[in-house]
Amino acid sequence: MNIDNIKKEFPIFDEKIQNNDLVYLDSANSSQKPKIVIDKINEFYTKQFSNVGRSVHYLAVAATNMYENTRSSVQKYINAKDKNEIVFTKGATEALNLVANTLGQKYLEEGDEIILTELEHHSNYVPWHYLRKSKNIKINFAEINDDGEVPIENIEKLITSKTKVIAINHLSNVTGAILPIKEITEIAHSKGIIVVVDGCQGAPHLKLDMQDLDCDFYAISCHKMYGPTGLGILYGKKKWLEELPPYQGGGGMIKEVKKDRITYGDLPNKYEAGTMATAQVIAFDQSIKFLENIGIENIINHEKELIAYGQDILRKNNSVKLIGNPKNKGGVLAFTIEGVHPHDIATILDEDGVAIRAGHHCCQILHDKLEIPASARASIGVYNTKDDFDQLNESINKCKKIFDLK
Amino acid sequence: MNLKELYQEIILEHGKNPRNLRKTENFNKDAQGKNPLCGDNVHIYLKLNDQKKVEDISFEGSGCAISMASASIMTDLIKGKSDNEAKEIIEDFLGMIKENPELKTNLLKEDDKTKLMCLSGVKQYPMRVKCATLSWHTLVSAMENDGKEISTES
Repeated sequence: MNIDNIKKEFPIFDEKIQNNDLVYLDSANSSQKPKIVIDKINEFYTKQFSNVGRSVHYLAVAATNMYENTRSSVQKYINAKDKNEIVFTKGATEALNLVANTLGQKYLEEGDEIILTELEHHSNYVPWHYLRKSKNIKINFAEINDDGEVPIENIEKLITSKTKVIAINHLSNVTGAILPIKEITEIAHSKGIIVVVDGCQGAPHLKLDMQDLDCDFYAISCHKMYGPTGLGILYGKKKWLEELPPYQGGGGMIKEVKKDRITYGDLPNKYEAGTMATAQVIAFDQSIKFLENIGIENIINHEKELIAYGQDILRKNNSVKLIGNPKNKGGVLAFTIEGVHPHDIATILDEDGVAIRAGHHCCQILHDKLEIPASARASIGVYNTKDDFDQLNESINKCKKIFDLK
Repeated sequence: MNLKELYQEIILEHGKNPRNLRKTENFNKDAQGKNPLCGDNVHIYLKLNDQKKVEDISFEGSGCAISMASASIMTDLIKGKSDNEAKEIIEDFLGMIKENPELKTNLLKEDDKTKLMCLSGVKQYPMRVKCATLSWHTLVSAMENDGKEISTES
């Protein structure tokens, strides 16, 4: 599959958005969907639909096989050791809540400490915050440096004998910094600390190898990975998923239910209570195929080249200030324009069909640290081209003109 | 949609040089408003005298051009009005942004009404309506003085 023509795999780019060609620079928020994924959802509901894992009729068996097939594809794609280490959730948010909640139930004790970073998305902070209240857990934030990175030393110096968990993102959705998960995990494990990774931005853009990274948990958001909404994946090392208690109770996750006792099912059913996002799981197999057909190395090279181009073009634009300058950077460019609020930027860009995000991007801790209430953010996916950044720049100039900036 | 209707000269000017962007000394009523989606925040300070007349009104905060201009124009127009008059103007403005084509109140001069009508451009941008109304809802809260923080996402 040729990455230069990849846009034509995505039907949305054939649409006119308010009479404009779509310049979609909001993939860190959610990616667009390739035709094969959309078609699979349609095909499943049209010709193959049944619930999975319960009935014995033909459609149920076929649907169950497709559902489990996605689990195997994910296992292979992220190089997990065991198929049962892949748990489907309603999103990465639920995956992170599952980890925080179950660790809180069984593993963490009053006075224990957790290390997060100032880059964390609210979904990798709020679930841990609950444990502050319920278990008196202390949360420490590893600080960023001026380039918007978290140096390993800043994490290391927070480690005490009480530290039980380090929960960090793989790739920042604001500064684009890629965190050295493998190195951090090595340090953490040498001190018996669990590593939980928020992989929402990492999974669509980086090579994933769970056995190499060696982290204990890794949360994935499928809709950011050219897949359907309503679906996330929790990778967890088997020993943890076996040891920790279930998260939600309901059908499908039990072994035996009596009036006086209940025993729970084996992995991964233990964590998949109720009817799951069946069509989404089955269609997500096509997202994995799509990524495999292009090849993650090609994706990484394409996005690196593109973001360098975007960075260059915005740097040359007076009054645009880029947020963060990490050495190892993913496809996110957050910026401010002095004298124009990010929401005004986003509205004006939208008029030209340029879709970006404005706000704090669910990273209020980071924006407080940077002493700005909000920022504008252009983020890329496989389908973006240099033309998209040229149009972004042109629309930014229009914005400056409206606000009478040089 | 038309950007020129949204970003009219008056809005850009008030957005750049907001009036009454300060804290009233000896204020006796105040309230804070926040829009958690975009991080906008506004703090309204009010000094009502014994005759329940707005002797001074001011605001602090940060936000987009629309929200700053809206707070700026609002504070300019509310100053000197009685609390009942202020309430009528607020209701009229929020009604206009929501559904009414025109302002109905007789409490404002025509050129003041024109200023307020400049904010009607947000009607075409549903995501931006909250930017124009945050300071007005916050003013209601300040006048009622129930100390309740206003959020656009309640």
